[in-house]
Amino acid sequence: MTKGLFTTSVGSFPKPDYLVKARNKAARGEIAPQELQELERKATEQWIRVQEELGIDILVDGEMYRGDMVAYFAEHWEGFGESGLVRAYGNRYYHKPVVTGPVRRSRPTTVEWWRYAQSLTSRPVKGMLTGPYTICDWSFDEHYGDRETFVMALAKAVHDEAKDLEAAGCQYIQIDEPAICTRAEEVEMASRALGIVTKGLKAYTVTHTAEYTQTYGEMASVFDQVVHLPVDNLDLEMANSNYFILELFRQRGLPGDKAISAGVLDVHTHRIESVDRVKAGIRQLLEVIPAERLWIKPDCGLKTRLEEEAIAKLKVMVQAVREVKEEMGIE
Amino acid sequence: MYTTAVGHYPKIGGKAPNLRTALNRLDLERITQEEVHRIEDENTVEVLEAQARAGLDVVTDGQVRWEDGQTHFARRLKGFSIGGLTRYFNTNTYYRQPVAEGPVAWEGPIALQDYQFAVAHSSKPVKAVITGPYTLARLCVNQAYPDLNSLALALAEALNQEALALQKAGAPLIQFDEPAILKYKEDFPVFLEAARRVTRGLTVKTAVSTWFYDISGLYPQFLQAPFQVIGLDFVSSRANLELLKKFPSDKELGFGVLDGRNTYVEPVEQIVEALRRIKRVVPLDRIHLSPSCGLEYLPRERAYQKLVRLVEGARKAQEVLA
Repeated sequence: MTKGLFTTSVGSFPKPDYLVKARNKAARGEIAPQELQELERKATEQWIRVQEELGIDILVDGEMYRGDMVAYFAEHWEGFGESGLVRAYGNRYYHKPVVTGPVRRSRPTTVEWWRYAQSLTSRPVKGMLTGPYTICDWSFDEHYGDRETFVMALAKAVHDEAKDLEAAGCQYIQIDEPAICTRAEEVEMASRALGIVTKGLKAYTVTHTAEYTQTYGEMASVFDQVVHLPVDNLDLEMANSNYFILELFRQRGLPGDKAISAGVLDVHTHRIESVDRVKAGIRQLLEVIPAERLWIKPDCGLKTRLEEEAIAKLKVMVQAVREVKEEMGIE
Repeated sequence: MYTTAVGHYPKIGGKAPNLRTALNRLDLERITQEEVHRIEDENTVEVLEAQARAGLDVVTDGQVRWEDGQTHFARRLKGFSIGGLTRYFNTNTYYRQPVAEGPVAWEGPIALQDYQFAVAHSSKPVKAVITGPYTLARLCVNQAYPDLNSLALALAEALNQEALALQKAGAPLIQFDEPAILKYKEDFPVFLEAARRVTRGLTVKTAVSTWFYDISGLYPQFLQAPFQVIGLDFVSSRANLELLKKFPSDKELGFGVLDGRNTYVEPVEQIVEALRRIKRVVPLDRIHLSPSCGLEYLPRERAYQKLVRLVEGARKAQEVLA
């Protein structure tokens, strides 16, 4: 039987109430950092158990100890000043860091958390990093004055972090570049920077990329560059945009060295998809992408959903994958 | 020379009750829509006061109530549903994309009440802002009309009603936001005809505002559009300064000189220098000095500092260059 249709998640999960409260208290200095860390570990273990029980193949730690995917690294690296709150959409805000000096990673940032999460399970846990282009694009620059110089300085720091994850035994490393299509004229530079990050890695590499591209035409104009990004697996949102990107795969094909992680759950709505709807999405995907090179996951991180919504959505996804596998004889 | 804001201002970060918290509570049905409106009002007053304190000559209401420039109008016009999230130009800001599903029509005032509220609570003149018909059409999904042109013209008719209502209410200046035209330059004929229709019957001063892109390829024909004030972003691209070799004496220039997307607060000298250069083409008394775009891309405190700096720059320039 063909092996395929592996299940995974993009990265973040909702933080339990007790952790949200503890983070607020810690921010006001009302509880000690160690106390917060214990709750972060507790929440991480909960999410590892949830994923194991659901039967997900490749796990994530859920990012219980991170606020924002960019600010987290900025807080741990030299060169960044205090972040400010900026609105992303609707009522969602993020901490946008300010770079005020040369960026430098003086010690491993995520390795201890990865080690802890992996110690809780025999299934593989992905190492989760944010890519250099996205960190640049989602920061205020008061130092470099030139985007490429800033991006390349970040690429070195992210590469060093990836090497340290690999040395710790991490087999799957995801470097998120959701912002990569923001400026068509910079995709080439962003791709080069990602190449610096993944250079020499033996671990399997993934990038969550090309979020919210406006139209078919705009995706079409950068598609060839996106499918050749220097990683093994491209993690793409699809449900939110009604799978329009599949038409491009149909026309231009998928490079032989690439696998796709396809988003089948819209993470921006409270509504829980039906199993049938997700199955229909997976069948569409299988018309274009062979099962052995297809991973199934939500569109994006689930951190903005309520806990019970996130679990319900994942449950539907796993059930849909299970049924499609059975119907099509996939192992 | 006038100093002015382009449009939006950060919704949170001041002393008024936090609008973000309020909207979260509304989502969980812990407070009412009326309470949220009251909090929006309080924040609007605070934003009006901040602009006056910074010393701006003409202010906006800060668009505290707008989710974004597209859905704010699409939700209140006939013919639209609201679709999936998409990126706003090359920013890290997103909006739910309106879908034109049937004939679009104006069913009643959209920005009028907010304009009247702002006037009642502002010590400075308030300009009214409407998303332009071409940009609104371009940033929507069109499932109702045979092409972009017919949707844009239908929107122009609808938004013309809004502009006439604002004129009647006494707005001294009506600004139409049309950033999309500088990105999709091939649509210029659509933009131009929509601009003519949306301004029909207006005797009040009108402005067109753009940002993020330059006017290369569209200058000087852009001046055919029936707006008295042409607003351009001189930060995102140096090209605008190079392109403006001549400027007609019956138009005024919206001169966006401070980066509305970066926290770095430019020195006064930089503003003076920019004005020194533009003065050769446009006399200072026909300049509306502003940031390059709305300021909601910044934290509240930094947005305020930008406005303070803008006013300092204008004052210094008037001293040095007069």
